[in-house]
Amino acid sequence: MTVDERLFEVLEALREEGWPEVEVFHKRGRSRTMRTTAYGETTSLRQEEGWAVRAGDSRRSFFYAASGPPRPDAGWPEADGQGLRLPSARPVPSWTAPSSLDAPLIGEVEARGFLEGLARALDQEVPGSRLLAAHLDDGSSESQLLSSRDVAATVRQRVASLHLDAVGPGEGQRGVSLDVAQREVRRFSPTALASRLADLLLVSGKGIARVRDRGEFLLAPTVAAGLLAALSDLWVGPEAESRLAALVDRGGRFGSPALTLIDDGRLPGGVLAAPHDGEGQPTREVVLVEEGTFRQPLVAWWQTRSPKLASACSRRPGWRDLPRPGPTHLYLRPDPSLRVASLLENLGRGYYLIGLAGAPRIEPGYGRFAAPVDGFAIAGGRPTGPVTGTWLVGSVSALFKGIVAVARDLTFSTVGAGLVGSPTLLVKGLELRQQP
Amino acid sequence: MPFAELDSAGIARSLAQIADHPADLADAFFERTEEIELPDGEGSPGLRVWRETGLAIRLLREGRTWLAGRDRISADVYHDAWRRVARAMPRTQYPQPSLKHESWGEPPRAPELLELPSNVRRALRSHCVTAPLELTVRRHRRWTRVIGTRLASGTERENFYSVRAELPTARYGCLLSELGTDTADELARRLVKLHRAHDAPPPSAWCGVSILGASATAVLLHEAVAHALEADTLAFGGHPDAAIGVRMGSELLDVFDDPTSAPDTVRRAADDEGFPVVRRCLLRSGVVQQPLCDTAWASRGEMLTAGAGRRGNRHLPPVPRSSHLELVAGELSWQDLLAEADGGLYLPEAERGSLDPLTGEFTLRFPFGRRIENQAPGPPVGPCTLKGRVSDLLDKVTGVGRKVRSAGAGWCAKDGVKLPVWATCPALRLEGVEIVP
Repeated sequence: MTVDERLFEVLEALREEGWPEVEVFHKRGRSRTMRTTAYGETTSLRQEEGWAVRAGDSRRSFFYAASGPPRPDAGWPEADGQGLRLPSARPVPSWTAPSSLDAPLIGEVEARGFLEGLARALDQEVPGSRLLAAHLDDGSSESQLLSSRDVAATVRQRVASLHLDAVGPGEGQRGVSLDVAQREVRRFSPTALASRLADLLLVSGKGIARVRDRGEFLLAPTVAAGLLAALSDLWVGPEAESRLAALVDRGGRFGSPALTLIDDGRLPGGVLAAPHDGEGQPTREVVLVEEGTFRQPLVAWWQTRSPKLASACSRRPGWRDLPRPGPTHLYLRPDPSLRVASLLENLGRGYYLIGLAGAPRIEPGYGRFAAPVDGFAIAGGRPTGPVTGTWLVGSVSALFKGIVAVARDLTFSTVGAGLVGSPTLLVKGLELRQQP
Repeated sequence: MPFAELDSAGIARSLAQIADHPADLADAFFERTEEIELPDGEGSPGLRVWRETGLAIRLLREGRTWLAGRDRISADVYHDAWRRVARAMPRTQYPQPSLKHESWGEPPRAPELLELPSNVRRALRSHCVTAPLELTVRRHRRWTRVIGTRLASGTERENFYSVRAELPTARYGCLLSELGTDTADELARRLVKLHRAHDAPPPSAWCGVSILGASATAVLLHEAVAHALEADTLAFGGHPDAAIGVRMGSELLDVFDDPTSAPDTVRRAADDEGFPVVRRCLLRSGVVQQPLCDTAWASRGEMLTAGAGRRGNRHLPPVPRSSHLELVAGELSWQDLLAEADGGLYLPEAERGSLDPLTGEFTLRFPFGRRIENQAPGPPVGPCTLKGRVSDLLDKVTGVGRKVRSAGAGWCAKDGVKLPVWATCPALRLEGVEIVP
């Protein structure tokens, strides 16, 4: 029996029990994980499979999820709590699955070779440094969704992620970490990754803290995306408009004209690009902020009465998860004509911040933010010394209104079940402090 | 017991075929879990159930581990996982072992969950707190069995509850070994304390006497003793063997990890590698006795003992972790702990802690506290943080309470592996630690 037939069987079984709203979801995937430390290596081969049902009527509902293939004879729990409403099927624009979805998973020898090459490249960049731990995960998955409202969706995905922990040669030096994601392992460049780690190690080992300073700030994609991610709730849900109202000026602007913020579940080349979201709704590009002006929030179909506003942003990372609205590929639109190097050359006095040393803190009500940052002091377009143990602070409003220029190097970071991306940003109106 | 009828001899025989080097270790891990959640009042859909069954085959050889996890249990699935882990296929294979196990019988039910939210609301009203409450309660059940080439454990069973409760002014989460008649009152009491301390100003930076309640002591021990003595953490600074005999803290500290004396519903006889658990002395009079080790780490040091291997789930390899921490009671009564502590802080609960394994820097975050006045807890103070290096911090213990209680149970999420941890502790007196707002 095929998975589709099994899903249909479960759907029919629940309909016969009298449930008007039924949705059956199935996901299976394979992944190879290699984790290396100074003391050993672990290679895991996972084959995961599970399914989930949401069923209910206007007064009560239940959720049942189980490992293995779908079964119509699973004992269902007693329905309770809130009623359930599911979305209807909507036409899906044409979609061509990326060819890389079919590429085989990385082999054990190849994975080991990749990580060893990375360790060698790091040692060349910073002699005496060590890769404390590396965690490489390469996986593919296929999910199917069938509902009593004629939704029938299939999504295939392929994601490779890499987490690196490294430490420099200095005594008692703080370790640094790096997380990256691509569709395939072969798209990771060991030399580029080693170079990024080397920059972070240099700053953490030799950087000094700045007590207090102002100037222009060049925020590398990791820093800018980290701030966007920490603020991502700002744009999610029907309350987004009232949240943002406090940040909008008299001219109706939320940010500078250089700020255009987009969420796109089918972003061409996006690692998580898919034709449907986690509830089978067709994904699309949604412009949240256009040239500094707020356009619309990120809302799931059930959070708005207007189909035009529905953003198809229900994320469902696995069969254990309920769909929840949130960013898919949330990104700040890059300027294809602007190189990072030209922004740096024109930076008279300021800082080039290349990494976050921890999670940014956001004040309740989105008043102020503080982010622990690492980077370089810049004068006349040249670095004058590394900076660490320092916080970038300011108001959330100043962050968005102070964006002067946006470079072309759009880079995504993994955030929960979604991706948040940003190019390098030139920002004014913020401050460096030793304490948040 | 779902795994009582597994063909342990047949499984051990098949594993012996892939463990063909003298020091190899191979095992099969069988897991079944059930979680039933009643979401908060606004949650849709209503009752939520997760049921999982699966297995993993592991081969450990010369510092390398191969692991194949599957989300089903059947002879075919077992054989496929076994084949993936084998480094060389044997010329002849034994017949596939029987993997007969109980199927899920009854539909999932947890009637004890249904009354809790309304009971907590009622208890809050009795404290004159009428703010809207969001409460999510979940029952966790897990059965595991490990069969290896050397050991075959019995089926281990865990059964506990997790609760997350939130008022507009207070947030509280905990693990409970059972839902009793007084659970709702106890949850309400803790929420009310947080609610009443909500507007209290944080204390100014303080470096004097601080008294940690049993719950806060449990979190402190978990972060500063248990995590610090996990073999994989110790390895950041050298060989874990080297830690044995090192003075780590005050001589008042006798700390054990003892899964056999955990609350009944989570008590263990074997760890997640099938190795019998022991009452492991972590610190005796402040001196390191035995780090927390799984089999892989124990094989690397003559003085290291396995028995503390825990798996987040079948897809993850075992890691050395604590299960149930115990701080041996001291001699001080509550009055003795508070003696000459006026102006100091009483910190009953900690909401989270963290340890940097490279630098040994440690932080513990408290949601609220109370200023000690007239040798008793006085007016509330707001959120604050204890900071320091582990070795300095544990040296500043100057008193241990004589009344121990189950306290500070919670989730440990080191390296993304989420595990329930339990503790039995008295209160603790510290002098000269830095508390900052």
